[in-house]
Amino acid sequence: MLLDIAQTAVDGLMVGGLYATVAVGVTLVFGIMGILNFAHGQLVMLGAYVAFYSVTAGWGFWPGLALAALSMALFGLILERLIFRHTLTDHMAGLTVSLGIIMVVENLASAVFTPDPRTFDPPLAGSVQVAGMTLSAQRLLVLALVLLLVGTFYLFLQKTRFGKAIRAMGQNRTGAALVGVQITHVTAAVFAIGSAMAGAAGVLYGSLFAITPYMAAGPLMKGLILTVLGGLGSVPGAVAAGFLLGLAESFGARYLSASFRDGYGFILMIVTLMYFPTGLFGARGKARV
Amino acid sequence: MTASRSKNGLRAAAFVAAGFAMSAAASAETVKIGMVNSLTGPHASFDLPASEGILMAFDEINKKGGITVKGKNYTFTVLSEDAQSKPELAVSGAQKLLRDDDIKIVYGILTSGPGMPAATLFAKSDILYFGGFTLMDTLLGKPGFELAFRTLDADAVVSKSFVPTGVKELGIKKVGILLPNEDVSRAITAAYKPLLESSGVSVPIVEYFQPDTADFAPVLRKFQNMELDGLLTGTNDAVVEAIVRQSTELGNLPKKFLYRGGSGGPGIKYAKQIDGFAWQILTRDLDYPSDPKVKEWIERYKAFTKKDMSPNTYWALTFYDTVFMMANAMEQVGSVTDVKAIAEKVKSMRYDGVRTMRFDKDGRAQSDIDIGMLKDGKISSVRAPFE
Repeated sequence: MLLDIAQTAVDGLMVGGLYATVAVGVTLVFGIMGILNFAHGQLVMLGAYVAFYSVTAGWGFWPGLALAALSMALFGLILERLIFRHTLTDHMAGLTVSLGIIMVVENLASAVFTPDPRTFDPPLAGSVQVAGMTLSAQRLLVLALVLLLVGTFYLFLQKTRFGKAIRAMGQNRTGAALVGVQITHVTAAVFAIGSAMAGAAGVLYGSLFAITPYMAAGPLMKGLILTVLGGLGSVPGAVAAGFLLGLAESFGARYLSASFRDGYGFILMIVTLMYFPTGLFGARGKARV
Repeated sequence: MTASRSKNGLRAAAFVAAGFAMSAAASAETVKIGMVNSLTGPHASFDLPASEGILMAFDEINKKGGITVKGKNYTFTVLSEDAQSKPELAVSGAQKLLRDDDIKIVYGILTSGPGMPAATLFAKSDILYFGGFTLMDTLLGKPGFELAFRTLDADAVVSKSFVPTGVKELGIKKVGILLPNEDVSRAITAAYKPLLESSGVSVPIVEYFQPDTADFAPVLRKFQNMELDGLLTGTNDAVVEAIVRQSTELGNLPKKFLYRGGSGGPGIKYAKQIDGFAWQILTRDLDYPSDPKVKEWIERYKAFTKKDMSPNTYWALTFYDTVFMMANAMEQVGSVTDVKAIAEKVKSMRYDGVRTMRFDKDGRAQSDIDIGMLKDGKISSVRAPFE
């Protein structure tokens, strides 16, 4: 029984890490720009396709991961320069535009890639035995990569000058500008970084699950739940909430009902917000990155 | 889906264009046929090939000069609407077709979500409707649905040949059932579980998962350490591929699969990691054909669509033969508009086309199916007769 619980917990952490990677991008953009970018899920989907074509072309998983992150960073930058920059002062317009982008990207992807589900061979196959538990090797790799990705990004935010500029903007945009932070540059960089995270999440997602043009809704919905659950704009909150959601889904599906899987996340969010109205790491109504 | 990776939007446009092309080629006497299918969206993998089969059949009839009804010559023109895999758009597409008073016959839709509301609308409008979705079985035989036909065999029919064949070929003794939490799945369980048990197979666990699940690890853990040697699962390739793949990754799970609902793709892809995979080819095995009729049809399909075969192409045969049945019925009853007479005639026919099939009094198809089998790394298929 204990072994079963431990296996379920590790399963939850592994998939929760994926959710966290998506949520970090969403919360980062929200913290800086104040909009919930609904099109974030489309970047996850496109990142997964980049990896799919990279692997099927024979370039392999790792170049695919790098290519997906870079190409999505570029795509995010283009979106910011061409569209979101013009909606900075109108959050409702930003939100509406991001909904429009979903429709355009999703339908274009369906036309170009076809709706057929795609999968690609992950770098690791089969299972491994860890302390008596049978675990998927690729899922363990994904968990390690997520921890590396999120950990590196967190250190970047905390330790570098640019990271401090991002945090300053998250706390007070006008104040940051007054002390010399280049607002437009930081905004563009944040969009690029958040999009790169989405691209990387897409690759990791695609290494475990099927890729379709319509796959974005799931990661996006969970990313949004986690952004609220963790505290709007809080990167550590998004990560913690990601792992919590993974655990809730895993234990719920294993010991309660697998047919109610997505419901556990919402229950978790409702209960958390009852006791922590600003989310797990949200503080005094301020966005914290 | 194919090597050409054609764009679905363009395909949809091409289909409509094909309909107009047929129209242009026809003489003054044409019969308008409506078609609703999900040419885009997640259900397109079923409906797109199905729509190709419909267009192909009407094209073949037209190229042979059409049909002769009471000495008059008629050809067909097909007007297509894209349901986009959404119930509300299936209804608006159907409504659009119904605004054309000349349309009395409609084909299409293989998935229950868009299919149910569209079929209900057609029934209310006295349309002769040929559909394929599973939940259509719950409508057929009810008052108002006398003009509705389901062109694929019901689970109650398919399971009678599939279960004994699968159990025998794969040598299964203890099976778990894992299906999406949908009405269809309850019907599948109701049909298959007793048959498995009467074949000497115990079924200690039945689980339903959220339909859009991608991560099956938690629910698959429930099946671990139960000494199962088989898993009955469905209901589409994407889901089953994920289940097969994740089963092999998690370990201590069955390595023989009975698949209700799609192609052999999910099993064949992981042939080296699993011990057996049986799947229902509800029409014909197009990958390993031995039947000359099937071989000829494949060549005609390639020429018509300018596409290669894909794992989903066999859905193109869902409606193909029924188009000829309907056309023959028109000739026999001497009318292209008396849909009640046409429907009755179709129900009295036994048609030996690419599929051998007939319909019962409620409009349920009874046809022979192929059962695909992956065993000992080798792929084969078995023809299961319906009579």
